[in-house]
Amino acid sequence: MSVSITPERGEPDVPPEHRPRARANGPLRTLIAMILMALAFMAVGAQLVRLALPSQSELTSSVSETVSGNYARPDIVDRNGRLLASDVEAYSLFADPVRVLDRDEIVEKLASVFPDLDANGMRRDLADRTRRFVWLRRGLSPGTAQEVHNLGLPGLDFRRELRRAYPGGTLAGHVLGSVNIDNRGVAGIERYVDDSVGVDAVQAATLTERAPVRLSLDLGVQHAVESELEDAMRRFEAKGAAGLVLDVNTGEVLASASFPEVDPGRPSMSLDTARADKIAGSTFELGSVFKTVTLALALEGGYARLDTVLDVRQPLAAGRFSIRDLHPVGRPLSVAEVFVHSSNVGAAMLAMRAGPQKLQAFLQQLGLLTPMQTEAGPIASPQLPSHWGQVETMTISYGHGLAVSPLQFAAAASALLNGGIQVRPTFLKRAPDAEPARVPLLSAATSAYMRELMRLNVTDPAGTGKRAAVPGYAIGGKTGTAEIAGPGGYRERAVISSFLAAFPIDKPKYLVFVLLFEPKPTHAAGGEVLAALNAAPTTGRIIARIGPVLGMMSASAAGASGVAFDGTGFDGTLAAKYEAQ
Amino acid sequence: MRIVNLAAFALALASAFLLYGVNYDTRLLEGRVQGQERSIDEARNDIAVLKAERAHLARPERIEPIARGLGMQPAAERQLASSPEEAMTRALAQSGATPGPAAQGR
Repeated sequence: MSVSITPERGEPDVPPEHRPRARANGPLRTLIAMILMALAFMAVGAQLVRLALPSQSELTSSVSETVSGNYARPDIVDRNGRLLASDVEAYSLFADPVRVLDRDEIVEKLASVFPDLDANGMRRDLADRTRRFVWLRRGLSPGTAQEVHNLGLPGLDFRRELRRAYPGGTLAGHVLGSVNIDNRGVAGIERYVDDSVGVDAVQAATLTERAPVRLSLDLGVQHAVESELEDAMRRFEAKGAAGLVLDVNTGEVLASASFPEVDPGRPSMSLDTARADKIAGSTFELGSVFKTVTLALALEGGYARLDTVLDVRQPLAAGRFSIRDLHPVGRPLSVAEVFVHSSNVGAAMLAMRAGPQKLQAFLQQLGLLTPMQTEAGPIASPQLPSHWGQVETMTISYGHGLAVSPLQFAAAASALLNGGIQVRPTFLKRAPDAEPARVPLLSAATSAYMRELMRLNVTDPAGTGKRAAVPGYAIGGKTGTAEIAGPGGYRERAVISSFLAAFPIDKPKYLVFVLLFEPKPTHAAGGEVLAALNAAPTTGRIIARIGPVLGMMSASAAGASGVAFDGTGFDGTLAAKYEAQ
Repeated sequence: MRIVNLAAFALALASAFLLYGVNYDTRLLEGRVQGQERSIDEARNDIAVLKAERAHLARPERIEPIARGLGMQPAAERQLASSPEEAMTRALAQSGATPGPAAQGR
């Protein structure tokens, strides 16, 4: 080609009429070459763009493939960082009906792996060829997934999903709540995690980067309470039991247990009303433990002093029935003795000195009449009498006619013991530097009297709480044996026996509240259903067990309220010091 | 002019090859990054499973019977001391006030 061009250009004897054409061809050819060049560049550019695209289109296709949203949740840990709930990867089996060759083979072979398979439902699902995606089984363990894989069935496939695991089993089941099949929280703390902490919508099994949710619960304390309650249920043949440990200064719940228990991994369990949370999810007439409130009202309002004597020998007429003492002492009692002997008549007399309005106002002030909320959801609302008359005042004075949840009552009782400061129960660990707002509800003097009375009830030989005493710790407490209301009145010997305790009582740190539901008069309880014989000793055992876990020093260790060292301070220097001696 | 054209053409070709090469490398690297990310995800998932398993094995409900089987008991209040010195004194007193091995050696 170039050979043919060169002579043309270099030829001097070209006819002149041809010359302008040749000159005119020059710019044209340049133009053509430039256009070609531009096209070539554009082609290269287009190619680059095309090459860059596939990776993106691949990504979009995988996103649009998603059928069901899966959520990644932060871990839940106890106050010391021990794991209570975590996301783990699981396999979920799905089918593409279009690719299924033999429905019956699939159903038959899967039934060999899943004996509880709904064969008819699955046949129906797989017959629907308009669908391209049918969940068959979700949340399989790797082993089961491998078994299904080994069946080699066409049309089946797996998706990796996140599943909530509760390594503690039923431990703190009521507090933790549960999640649904898409890993969203539906109850308890899990619900709170969704609403307030946040969860991430994820495609496959991608774990969240969020920091764990740290609860106020202490795994060790929770277990100790649960195991002692289970033991008590066995010994006293109770239908149910509940217990909670509350920090009286910060309102942190260290343990909250309710029996029969629920497994957070099996959400259907919590639908059973018998398994409802007895600490925050139900209200009860709590009985004589309520006398702590009545006495605090009497002392705070100046209606009586500890040495004021009341004549409690005669039953007190209240409307069409009369209030009497279970174990009448047969002599006038001082206010302190009213508490120690748990005299219904005495409590009613004290409440009547204050009157219905004052009692109502005091209960309101303590937060016992208004609905309360924690992170684990709303606490069951108090059930109030429709009319606050004299009869109601008298019955409420010893814990009947007003039903509150044990957690709400424990919060009010904490204020009676901690120097009169309001306590808001929380299931989250408080930051160490956070100073909660101090809202005084009653005077420190009244609170000191209440501590004294509670202590007396355990130390006095006639005290109903003497069986709660344990070596090493100064415990104060109050018993309650409340008859359970049934159709047509209260059922005798069907009681909720409870014990409200605090330790160390001279400067309370923890409140322990134990309830036993319908305990039987077993040999272990001396043939009685009284709280003094079942709930009180159970509480004592719990305190003896959780005290050391919480690092509480014995009362004899002067002034010390905590352990000064925990092994970390125990270094070589000390050992050397002793070796040198 | 021809030389310029030729040079431009050669340059275009060269840059096309170069760009293609860079693009190819980028995709390769992207693939590797994705692979790394996948293995990070896998490792994180494995860690989560192991953590859950460890917590499951260490659950108090399981540990308690084992510990009791080994003759252990729940910690008691008398096992706490307000200072290391007190703990050591108490431990020495409990072991029948026998001096420590170092003291015996003296």
